[in-house]
Amino acid sequence: MGSYILHQPETFFPKRLAPTPPNHSHTPPPPKPMHPLRTFRQSRLWALILKETRQILRNRQIIFLLLFPPTVQLLVFGLALNPEVTHLSLDVVDYSHSPVSRELVATLTANDTFQIQAYQPSVEDLGQRVRTGRVSTGLVIPPNFADRLAADRSVEVQVLIDGVDANTAGIASGYMQQLVNRFGQTLRQTPDPPVAIATRFLYNPGLLSSWFFVPGVIGVVLTLTGSLVSSTTVIREKDVGTLEQLLMTPAQGWEILAAKIAPLFGLLMGDVLLASAIARLIFGLPFRGNYVLFLVLSGVYIFVAIGIGILLATISSTQQQVVLTSFFFNVPLIQLSGAIAPIESMPTFFRVLSFLNPLRHYVTIARSLILKGVGLEVLMPEVLALVSFTVLLLGLSINRFRAQLN
Amino acid sequence: MKRVLSQCLKELNQFRRDRLTVALAFVLPLAVLLIYGYAIRLEAKNIPLSVQDFDNSPLSRTYISRLFATNQFVPTPMPGTAVTSALDRGTAKATVVIPPDFSRQVTARQPVTVQALVDGTDVNNARVIQNSLRATTQFFLRSSDLIPPQAQSLIDPQVRLWFNPGRQESLYIVPGIFGVILWVFPSMLAAIALVREKEQGTIVQAYASDLSSLEWLLGKELAYLIVALGEALVVMTVATILFGLRFRGDPTPLLVGLIVYLAAAVAFGLLVGARAGNQTGAVQGTAIAGFLTALLLSGFIYRLENIPFPLSLVSNVIPARYFIEITRDAFVRGTGWPGIWYAPIAIAAIGGLFFRLATRILHRMQFPD
Repeated sequence: MGSYILHQPETFFPKRLAPTPPNHSHTPPPPKPMHPLRTFRQSRLWALILKETRQILRNRQIIFLLLFPPTVQLLVFGLALNPEVTHLSLDVVDYSHSPVSRELVATLTANDTFQIQAYQPSVEDLGQRVRTGRVSTGLVIPPNFADRLAADRSVEVQVLIDGVDANTAGIASGYMQQLVNRFGQTLRQTPDPPVAIATRFLYNPGLLSSWFFVPGVIGVVLTLTGSLVSSTTVIREKDVGTLEQLLMTPAQGWEILAAKIAPLFGLLMGDVLLASAIARLIFGLPFRGNYVLFLVLSGVYIFVAIGIGILLATISSTQQQVVLTSFFFNVPLIQLSGAIAPIESMPTFFRVLSFLNPLRHYVTIARSLILKGVGLEVLMPEVLALVSFTVLLLGLSINRFRAQLN
Repeated sequence: MKRVLSQCLKELNQFRRDRLTVALAFVLPLAVLLIYGYAIRLEAKNIPLSVQDFDNSPLSRTYISRLFATNQFVPTPMPGTAVTSALDRGTAKATVVIPPDFSRQVTARQPVTVQALVDGTDVNNARVIQNSLRATTQFFLRSSDLIPPQAQSLIDPQVRLWFNPGRQESLYIVPGIFGVILWVFPSMLAAIALVREKEQGTIVQAYASDLSSLEWLLGKELAYLIVALGEALVVMTVATILFGLRFRGDPTPLLVGLIVYLAAAVAFGLLVGARAGNQTGAVQGTAIAGFLTALLLSGFIYRLENIPFPLSLVSNVIPARYFIEITRDAFVRGTGWPGIWYAPIAIAAIGGLFFRLATRILHRMQFPD
C-alpha cells in the first residue's frame, strides 16, 4: 500500500502546483526540495487521505460491512457447501432373508456411504417411501438370491435411487455398483482383476470440500465487500452533496479519487488478512504457495472490486439503485467465476465468457497458490489477464467518475 | 379492510411510477434465472484428462481409447515432462500413468496397477472422475476379454433412477432457483419501499392519519405480494419454456406454497425495512444475507444433510428450504400433498412470525392504537 501512495506526489508534483490559484492564501508556498516522505506528508493528497480515513473510521456501518459479512460468508460457504455423498438413507426389502443377503447389506453400510433407514416388507412400501422423499435409495433382494448364489448362478438385485438430485444420484449409483460388484467377487474368492486403477488425489488428499470453496469465496467476499463499500462511500458523497464542496477546493479530481481509494484499499487488505486467518485457522487450508505473492495479487484484485464499486456509483443516483444494479455485476461475476460451480461443467458459451471475468482469474490464482503451491511462472497467463482487467476496469470507472465531476 | 386496500393501491401506484425499480424488479430475476439456470452444473462433462503412456503398446492404446470413448474425458497433452505438470497448470484434471510393463504383465496374467492422479481441488468432480475411471477400467477388462468368466461378479445390480432417469441437472437446479429468486427480490423490494418511507419522511403522514400499524403494513404486504406474484409468473413461465419443466402431478401444493412463500418473503422484507434504522446499508446487508441463506442453507446446490450441526439448525428456519422441496416435488417428483404437506405450514409459520415482528416494531413507533 505504501509504495502505491508514495509514488503519486513525485509524478504529479508539477501538475499539482500549476493550477493553484493565487487567491488561496492558505495553500502552502512551493516547498523547497525536501525529503520525499516529508513532502508527501505536507501534500494535499495526504491531507485528503487523512480526511477520508477519519471519515470512514467514524462510519460504524462501513466498519461493520468490512468485518461482519466477510466473516459470515466465509464460514457459511465453507461449512454449508458440501458435495459429500455419505450417509445416504437406504431402505432394504429383503425377500431372501438369508445370511448372504444380510452380508450384502452389511457390506453396503460398512463405509458410511449408505445408512440403513428401515427394512420394508414389500417393494410397494419401498416405492411409497422413495416417492414421498423419506428415503433416497432402496435395495430389493429377490427371494431366490441365496439359492442362486449357492448354485453359482448369477442373480439380479434391484436398486432404486431418487434421481431428483442428479449429481448425488450419479455418484451414489457408481458407489452402489462398485460395492455390489466387489461383494459378488468376494463370494467366489476370485483373483484380483488383472488391471487395477490406483487413484491418488493431489492437492486435497482428504477431499475436504472447504478446501475447494474457501479460496474461491475469498474472491467472492472481496468482490462483494469491495464494491459495496466503495460504492457506498462515493454515493453518499453524491447524495449529501459534499462532493460539490470538495470540488470547490483546489484539489484535483484525481486527488479526490486517490484519497478516496487509498483508505478503502488499506481496509480491504485488512479483509484479505482476515480471510486468510479464517482460512488458515478454521478451515486449515495449507497455503502452499508464496504468501507475499498471494497478498500482492489480492491487492490487484481489490482494485477490480473498487473499480466495480465506483462504476456502480456513477451509474446510479441513489443507494437503492446501487443495491439493485450491483446484482447485474456481481451475480454473473460470481457465478461465472468457478468459485461455486466448476467452470468445466458450464456450457461452452459461458466457459468462453468466463475468460473475461477478472474474478475467474483471481479464483484460479488463489486456489493455485493456496492449494497447489505453484509459482508465478505457472500462473503467468492468469496474472496478466487479471492485471489487464484491473487496469481496464479501474480506468473506465475513474474516467466515468471524472466525467461526472466536470 | 377498505383502508388496507386503498393503502395497497397507493403503494402499487407508487411502485409503478418508479420506472427503474419496475424494470429491475422484472429484469433482474430473469437475469439471475438465466445465469444460474445455465451456468450451475455440478457434474463436469468434458473433463480434461492427460495420459502418460510408458508402455505404448496396442493394448495400452486400446485402454486409452476406452478412457475417451465415453465422452466424459477430453484428451489433453502433457505440457511438461513431470507427471504432475498438467495438473499443476490446471490444463488437466486427471493424469493416468500407464506403467512400461503394462501389456507384458496383462498378457502374463499378472496384476498390474495403473496410477491415476486426480486433482482433488474440486471435491465433487474428483469423486466423479474416480468413479468413472474405475468404471471404464472395468469396461476395458470386460470388452478385451481380460476377466475370466468365473471372476465376473455373480450379483448384477440393476440401478434405476427414479423421477429423473436421464440425470438432467437442470431438473434439480432450476426448481431450486425459484426458491432463491422468489425470496430475494420480493423481500428486497418490500424492504426498500419501507425504508424509503422512513428516509423521505412520508411515514410521518401515516403516523398523522388514523391508520394502525397493522393496516399500514397489511397494505404494503398485499401490494408487494401482488408484485411478487407477477415476478413469479414471469420467472416460472420463462423457466418452463427454456428448461422444459413440466408439472408432474397435482399443481395445488405449488400454488398454495407459492402464495405463502411470497407472502413470507414480503413479510421478511418489511421486517428488515422496519428494523433498518435510517440507512439502506442495512438493506444491502440483508440482500446479501437473504442471498446467502436462500442459496447456501436451503439445499439448493448440495444435500441439506451435509450441512454440519449448528448451521443445520439454522437451515430449518429458512423458508427457501421448504419452498424448494415444494418446487422439486411439483416439477420433478410429482408426489403432491402426501409428500410435502408440512412445507406450506412451515413457511406460513415462519412468515407469520416475520410479519408479527414487523408489526411489533412499527407499533412502537408513533402509530395510533
